[in-house]
Amino acid sequence: MLFGPSGSGKTLTLQCLDGLVRPDRGRIVVNGRTLFGADAGVHLPPQARRLGYVFQGYALFPHLTVAANVGFGLKHLGRAERESRVAEVIDRLGLADLAGRYPRELSGGQQQRVALGRALAPDPELILLDEPLSALDAPLRRQLRDDLGAILSDWGKAAVLVTHDLSEAYQLATTVVVYQDGRVIQSAAKSELLWQPASEAVARVMGIRNILRGTVVKATPEAIQFRWRGQLLEAVNSPSRSYLPEPRSPLAFYIRPEYVRLIRKDRSGPDAAHHMNLMNATVTREADAGTVWSLYLRLEEAGTPAQGDYDLEVEVPKLVYEILDIPRDRHWQISIHRGSIQVLPST
Amino acid sequence: MLSAEAVSALSLSVRVAVVATAVNAAVGIPLAWALARHRFWGRGLLDLLVTLPLVLPPTVTGYYLIVLLGRRGWIGGPLYAATGWSVAFTWYAAIVAATIMAMPLMVRTARAAIESVNRDFEKAAFTLGRSEWQAAIEVTLPLARKGLLAGLVLAFARALGEFGATLMLAGNIPGKTQTVPLAIYTAVQTGESSEALGLVLMLTALSALVLIASARLGGRAQ
Repeated sequence: MLFGPSGSGKTLTLQCLDGLVRPDRGRIVVNGRTLFGADAGVHLPPQARRLGYVFQGYALFPHLTVAANVGFGLKHLGRAERESRVAEVIDRLGLADLAGRYPRELSGGQQQRVALGRALAPDPELILLDEPLSALDAPLRRQLRDDLGAILSDWGKAAVLVTHDLSEAYQLATTVVVYQDGRVIQSAAKSELLWQPASEAVARVMGIRNILRGTVVKATPEAIQFRWRGQLLEAVNSPSRSYLPEPRSPLAFYIRPEYVRLIRKDRSGPDAAHHMNLMNATVTREADAGTVWSLYLRLEEAGTPAQGDYDLEVEVPKLVYEILDIPRDRHWQISIHRGSIQVLPST
Repeated sequence: MLSAEAVSALSLSVRVAVVATAVNAAVGIPLAWALARHRFWGRGLLDLLVTLPLVLPPTVTGYYLIVLLGRRGWIGGPLYAATGWSVAFTWYAAIVAATIMAMPLMVRTARAAIESVNRDFEKAAFTLGRSEWQAAIEVTLPLARKGLLAGLVLAFARALGEFGATLMLAGNIPGKTQTVPLAIYTAVQTGESSEALGLVLMLTALSALVLIASARLGGRAQ
């Protein structure tokens, strides 16, 4: 899964893979077969790469029927063999009743299936998909995303998919490659990406909220202590790739809005085992986000430097918002677990 | 009824227009595709040469054709020296003139149609194993067919009505190189007004017929 903002080079990567664009440098190897090698002077044309390409908007041939579209890449086969392969693919994709229809007579979901069928029919080594869902509106998009995931896993084909929608990446991908300004800024398993973005740039591209900057006090392989807005905070250092910045060096980190805890006033006060990184804050404004409320907090003893019109965004379930009577009670003590502060290594 | 000369002019005009249109299809469509889809050396010059007859007075185009193909022309001269035959003042000359005059309309219309075909269709054809030529024949041209048809209709109409360049290169020889427009001109000049009217009506009817037929075809191609 290639993920990144528009114009960051994802589609270009796909076209290089497919031979529609010739890269200046590097090598492209698929299943041990070199498709491109700048040093060896290898540049297979798209026709010889045996890759399936699903275009943005599908690019189904409008003048050909569903069956002819699916069979388009099978010209090298004999007539009988081609027809049986087309029938097999069409059947497997549940398109049997539509074989004689033209693309304009199909729904978006059916078009996607035909596009997949056309790319899969020649049995490619890899299937490339360029923003297959971007042109659709939300409900259809979800449905087609599930459909796409099911078809790809059913056919057992490795796929490279381009998207600028992170939730799409999470739903469909095993590995996510993050692009920005023509560069890969992280390539990782999706769970790792979610919990350990490699840098502040990755976190920003991912749309993570509460990306903040502080100053290192002390870093050990177990924990990093740092100062932020006059508060002394502590975060767990990553056991797999501990990060040891120098004291007094700047530090970027983020706090997921749903992991900030408001401490209830009707219970006994905070205890050190459960509540760490304690701070006092005021709710300055809030926004109803459907099932949750977003609260925008300003620290009460905030040190310099000042930042924005709030310090921290906190997300609470609607029920909690009502039980705690937040519309009337604006002052809260908050705590953030050491493990809920993610440090972003500077690169 | 029409005179024997008028009938022969009509038959010649139709033959000339049909052949000129066929040549335009065979040469103009590949040319339009090359101009629309490729960058090559001399592309600008080729584009200019093909388009010039559209803006030049037909007599000027005819003059160039004489310089090129006449008995003492750059190509016509050696040809005449070798074979004793020249295209000038034969009905082939009428075909050449009509073809050249119709070419800009064919190429420009076809080119616009080809350029309007989304390149993703061709790229899809490439990834499905098609060469560029195959992609053009199986995908691009079928998708541009309405524009190609429109280009052919315009070329046919232009060829049917060609006057100036034909007069320069083929002359106005009754029964041999006299096409309908030339026959109309001659009839008016010599005061045969009923003959002129008959030819005018025939040509109008023929042109209208072509337009109606192409609209039908275009409607079906949609």
